Order: sequence, then structure tokens, then C-alpha cells
Amino acid sequence: MDFSLPESARAVRDGIGEICARYDMDYWQRCEAEKRWPEEVWEELAKGGWLGLAVPEEYGGGGQGLLELTVATETLSAGGSAGGSAFTYVLTPGFGALTLTRHGSEWQRREILPRLAAGTMETCFALTEPDAGSNALAISTSARRDGDDFLIKGQKIWITGVQRAEWMLLVTRTIPAAEARPRTNGLTVFLVNVPEAVAAGTLSYQAIPKMGANTTPSNMVFLDDVRVPADRVVGRVDQGAAVLWDILNPERILLGASSVGGAEVALRVACDYARERVVFGRPIGANQAVAFPLAQVKAKIELARLMLYKAAWLFDNREPCGTEANIGKLTAAQAAWEAADQAFQVHGGMAYSLEYPVARLLTDARIGKVAPVTEELLLNYLATQVLGLPRGF
Amino acid sequence: MNIVVCVKQVPDTATERKLRPDDKTIDREAAEGVINEICEYAVEEALRLKEAHGGEVTVLTMGPSKATDTIRKALAMGADKAVHLVDDALHGSDGLQTSYALAQVLKKIGFDVVILGSESTDARMGTLAAMLAERLDAPQLSLANKVEIDGSTIRIQRLTDYGFDRVEASLPAVVSVVEKINEPRYPSFKGIMAAKKKPVETLSVADAEIDAAKVGLASAATEVVDFAVAPPRAAGTIVKDEGDGGVKVAEFLASKKFV
Repeated sequence: MDFSLPESARAVRDGIGEICARYDMDYWQRCEAEKRWPEEVWEELAKGGWLGLAVPEEYGGGGQGLLELTVATETLSAGGSAGGSAFTYVLTPGFGALTLTRHGSEWQRREILPRLAAGTMETCFALTEPDAGSNALAISTSARRDGDDFLIKGQKIWITGVQRAEWMLLVTRTIPAAEARPRTNGLTVFLVNVPEAVAAGTLSYQAIPKMGANTTPSNMVFLDDVRVPADRVVGRVDQGAAVLWDILNPERILLGASSVGGAEVALRVACDYARERVVFGRPIGANQAVAFPLAQVKAKIELARLMLYKAAWLFDNREPCGTEANIGKLTAAQAAWEAADQAFQVHGGMAYSLEYPVARLLTDARIGKVAPVTEELLLNYLATQVLGLPRGF
Repeated sequence: MNIVVCVKQVPDTATERKLRPDDKTIDREAAEGVINEICEYAVEEALRLKEAHGGEVTVLTMGPSKATDTIRKALAMGADKAVHLVDDALHGSDGLQTSYALAQVLKKIGFDVVILGSESTDARMGTLAAMLAERLDAPQLSLANKVEIDGSTIRIQRLTDYGFDRVEASLPAVVSVVEKINEPRYPSFKGIMAAKKKPVETLSVADAEIDAAKVGLASAATEVVDFAVAPPRAAGTIVKDEGDGGVKVAEFLASKKFV
């Protein structure tokens, strides 16, 4: 067994780490406060080839896989962007690159991957609906044939990054959920050209005011007979579940990685303060009641990271990775939350001041416990799929 | 064009830097070694000259074996190859000796332009470019914030207290650059991966035909006699404005010879 990171992943950590070193916590605080896309960092990521890491070399990318993306997301998050802003990275270099590389047709790859790698085109992913979040298979957005095309109708919610996306990976039902046997049958994934559909008046969206992660808006999306040519189906009609798992598992792994990075930021902030803040004549970090919870968090971060790397490695080697992805996601989100909570405790009342980053770290960490999947659903997966316990629903 | 850029690994300025109590040289084990920041600007300028005029950029460094990290950094930015002068005999060399050692290597590998950062953050001598130029019998163009090459002519803007001088010389030449000259690029993913495969030639003192008796602490022309930790900063003077604040401030500044 070899636990050393491959050279490619170390290059990612060093290279993105170097960019992050020039954009400090204040930068990310400002982006969040101003609800502003981190344009400067994005530009550097594009120039360095960090956006196209997982795009095959023949399409102008780095030819790497999910492991490198995992390290990239974690590094970016740990650099100060924390969980919320790291999502900016997952949308295109993650969803777009991985999905089209593995499931895209030659036309789709040629259309999208080279510009994705160059950083001149972005993607987003639309699955969840007002009545289908945890129960994602219950989506009702439908695609019906109309000559050589499909017409898509429905509503999506919590779709992040639509504003900047040229292409949306849209999950639809071509067989209604009630009629699908098994339930995973009858799903079809489309590539929807967002500006085209907006211009045609068939797609609109509305940003949802939200607590955090405001560098990228999340939206309600309304689809009113969006016309999509058949060559924009990703994978096969009705067989979209195969594509969907290859989006959802990387999503868990990458957002787990962003939680790991967020946890590292919170721990760093907490430790710095615990070293410097002197009360009763000594730094508060010298008190075991302060130090031990931080040490405990460190242990949890390392465990979560290890599991996420394993999950990414399995995915890259085309092995089943659902169990590892879910365990990694669950434990990473918990570690991030505990880290942020401890950072709050260590800062005492000052944590409540927006001049400190703790509030942002706490908000970012909290969403990890419900998005993209709730802790409860992850536990349910482990209970039913791994432990073989009876299903409750 | 054969461009050689000299880079130096220095102790990270973000960490506590120390001198060794035994021989009063920089303790290179105590702090993490990083590329001297101004050297990144030198590498960037070398790469830009290559992009404009063609040729090859060679990284040259003198330092312990861990300086390899600094070489890789410069190669990751885009330099083509590197020469690493590494030998225990070089330990403790002062500026004069360093210029001698590097000049021996430069004579061996040849050059059209040698580019250096204006100074290092550890020793802060700021004289290496001048010394090298003298030893190589090449014109020195120091403190450049702009470099242009036209055929065999090199022109720089030398940053001065009052603006800048335009300095012109013929190649081969030695140039030192200041931070204002450019914005160094970040290594790209492909750059970092490619750097691992680029050739790094390791030279010993003997390989570079350096006289071992002329380098190292024992024969250094300068000697660190003693050193002490900088005293903690004393409390400042607070001027309370009772209608005469301006005068008091002026008197204070005058007493310190600021005005």
C-alpha cells in the first residue's frame, strides 16, 4: 500500500497553494461581503491550467482526474476561500470536465472541453427541484420528444452558477418517476445552452438570497419547453442514472474536500488566536480545555481527508466509490462544522464581530451538513446499503 | 540568446531567521528555504527576454543540496535547465568569494546576459551583480526596472532616487533587476510537471575549476565578529496636543534628524 500523493497531486497542492498565498483571508472576506466572483483568483487558475486539470490532454487540459481536483479544491478552500467559495471551483473544473470526459460524445467534448480548459467557458449542474431534494429520483422536470429535438419543462432549485454558465448539465425525467421501474430508470441528462435558452425566452432564473457562499449565486430555474437537439443528450436517453452517479459521487468528494479545506482554515484561525490571546497571564491555547478540542478536530480532518483521497482514487480507477465518497463527505462536513464551532469558542465574543472571519467560516461549514446531501441521507446510505439494515422508506 | 539567471535560496522571511552560534553563518536548517523574492522577478525577466528574442534560459544557483527546491521553482516558471553549484567547501563564502565561484561557472557555461535580483533577503549585500561583472569583464547594468535588447545592444532603465537613468551597453552583460520591473508569473500545472524532468547539472568546486582555497569561511575576506538578537522595540513617544502638538512633533523629528 502506498499512501504518498502522486507527483501530479503534489504539483496541484504547490501550484494552487502559491496562488492562494497571494490572496489572503481579507480578500475572501471582501468577495463574500461584496457578493463578488473571485475574478482575480479565477484568472490565475485559468492561466495556470488549474481549471482544466481533469480535461484530457488532447482537449487542451492537464489529463488528470478526480484526485487532483480533490487536492485542488481542498487547497483552494484551505487558502481562505473556505467551503462556500470553493464551490466556484467545483462547478466547471469538476462537474463539466469530469462528466463530459467520461460520458460526453465526441461532439460534446470538442464543443466544451477545450474552452473549459482555457477558462473561457463555464458549466453548472441542475438536479434538485422544490419537491425533489433528498429524494432526487422523484424529479418531475420532463423531457419529451418533438421531432429530432426534446422539449424540457419543469423547475429546478438551488442551481448554483447559472449566471456565468454557458452549458447546464440538466437532469430530466423521460419516464415519469411514478412509472419508472426501477426508479433509476427513465432519467436523461441534457446539455442545455443557457444563453441560447434565455434568448429564446424558454429559460429564466432567479437568485435566492442566501446566508453565505455569496461569491456564486444559487438560483431557482424555470424551464418552459426548452428546445434541445438530441445530440445534446449526455450518455443515453433513459439511462441517465449512470451519468448522474458519476456526477454525484465526485460532487460529494469535492465538496467534502472543500469542507476539509474549510476546517483547516478554521483550525488555523483558531490556533493563531489561541497562541496570541493572553488571559490570566498565559496564552489561552495553553489551557487544555481550549487545546484538546482543536487537537480533536485535527484528527477528524486528517481522517476525512484520507477517506476522500481514497474515494477519489477509486473513482479514477473506475471502481465503486459510493461508500467511501459518502463516508468522506459525512466526516469532512462534521470536521468543518466542529472546527468552525471551536474557532468560535476560542475567539469568545470576538467571533461575533464581522471583522473576524469566524462568522463566514461557520456559515460555510454549516451548509456542508446539508448540501449537496444531508447527513441523514448519508447515514441512511450507510445503514441500508452498507450495513444491510431494513429501509425506512 | 543564452540567458543565465542567478537565483538564491534564502530562509523564509516569514519565519524567525537565525545565525548559527558555532560559525556565525546563516542557519539554513532553522528556517524553510524559499526562493529569494527578487530572484522571481529576475527569472520572469529572463523568460520575457527569451520569449521576445528566443534562446534558452539557464538557472544558476550556488547553495546546499536543498536549494534544489528553488531551482525547481524557477524551472516550473519556465526556465529550460539549471546548473547547481553545490559543495561543502563553499559553506560560509562571503560576497567576494561567491562572485568568484559563480564567475567560474559562468565562464564555463557561457552567457549573453546574466540576470540577478538586486539583493537577497538574507545577506542583503546588493553587490553581487557588480562583483560578477568585474570578474567576467562584462558591463554591469544594475537596478533595472526595464530591460530591452536590440541586436547586441542592451538598454536598461536604472532606478534612482530621482527617477531613472538610461544605461546602454553591449552584450554580453550582467543585469540586476528591482521588483518594479515586472509581475512574476505563477508556475502552471504543466510547468510544475515539466520542471521535474528538466536537466539540472550539479557541479562541485572541482568541476567548476574553482580553487577550493579561495572559497569558504576560512578564507573569507569578511568576518562576522559578533551578533545579537535585535532588542525589542521601545515604547514610542506620545505627543499630547495641547495647542502645541505640531511644534512638539517637529521638535521630535528634528531631534531624530528627520527634518
